[in-house]
Amino acid sequence: MKKYFILILVFFLTILSCEKDDICIDTTTANLVIRFYNNDIQTDVKDVLLDSVWAINKNRIEQYKSVSTDSITIPLNLNENSTTYIIENNSIKDTIKFNYDRKDIFVSRSCGYKTIFENLQIDNNSINWIKNININNTIIENDTAAHISIFH
Amino acid sequence: MTQQHTFLFFISILLLTVTANSQVTNQDTIKNKEKYGLRIGVDISKPINSFFETDNKALEIVSDFRVLRNYYAAVELGFLDKTTNEDYLNFTTTGSYIKAGFNYNAYENWAGMNNEIYVGFRYGFSLFNQTLNSYTPNVNGTYFIPETLEPNTEFKDLTAHWVEFIFGMKVETFNNLFLGVSVSFNNMISTTDPDNFKNLQVPGFNRVFLNNKGVGFNYTLSYLIPIIKKNK
Repeated sequence: MKKYFILILVFFLTILSCEKDDICIDTTTANLVIRFYNNDIQTDVKDVLLDSVWAINKNRIEQYKSVSTDSITIPLNLNENSTTYIIENNSIKDTIKFNYDRKDIFVSRSCGYKTIFENLQIDNNSINWIKNININNTIIENDTAAHISIFH
Repeated sequence: MTQQHTFLFFISILLLTVTANSQVTNQDTIKNKEKYGLRIGVDISKPINSFFETDNKALEIVSDFRVLRNYYAAVELGFLDKTTNEDYLNFTTTGSYIKAGFNYNAYENWAGMNNEIYVGFRYGFSLFNQTLNSYTPNVNGTYFIPETLEPNTEFKDLTAHWVEFIFGMKVETFNNLFLGVSVSFNNMISTTDPDNFKNLQVPGFNRVFLNNKGVGFNYTLSYLIPIIKKNK
């Protein structure tokens, strides 16, 4: 009987220690990828000295405080159909307003739904340090390639 | 889920204890009569689960009939109304199902005993609805926190076909009253998935795992209506 009791106890503890067996490993909502190019030689990538990047009424993005980079990956607001970003380069600010449509796509049980942004447009933008903007891809469903090229 | 497993475990223990007792008492009786007929019962684990989980209502009626020696034709009818809550999803599955197949009894009974250790095969069919109650778009990071949306989209008239391999046992505890335990391994053949959603739960099949497999546990209490009695 004692032998069985131990067996039951082990079984009971095994059940109690059950953890979730499915973790979300699929790709979910993608970010907007912006690449910076030289305005004079438009095929050349050119670094930007970023002071900070932030969406209007939000905190500065931690990752892009005083860094020199040729590309940034920024999230779009998935509760609204537009996001306004302010990019500060060498103490000069430029504002870009992105407009888009949102579509939620089912991924899996553990990941749920992801949002795809379609018909990406630039509603308006200031041209202080930014000379030109080009949209490479109007659909944002992955962050492997740049969706927007900024020339400066 | 953990709680459910715990309950199932305790029911198993209970049944095993009863099994052990019944074997002792049956050894003394010597009846060389064979009886068989229609056996009808219910899955007792489902109402117990419904009692503890308010979002889970289920019922299953089981029946089998001996067609040949050791071969039983079996049918199960059931109903499910269950709300599943995942990290980023909440949905409700409602529908009914039928399973039909056979069991083969591999247990050689002592004289007068009427127990079974069996393997079985079933074909299952379910007609059901899924309602996507709410979801939260999944995004990495916390810069924009997504709002939870409540579309309450109802996907109607969905179907699923599957096969099951069953391993189980039945024990006659009192005269004509059987207690049964079985585990089934389910394999989906085809299912009509809703548009931009997936059948993650199917009545009768239970949770649909990533590889379209499933597993089921049954704890049945059934009564044999002895239509035929004859000497062995």
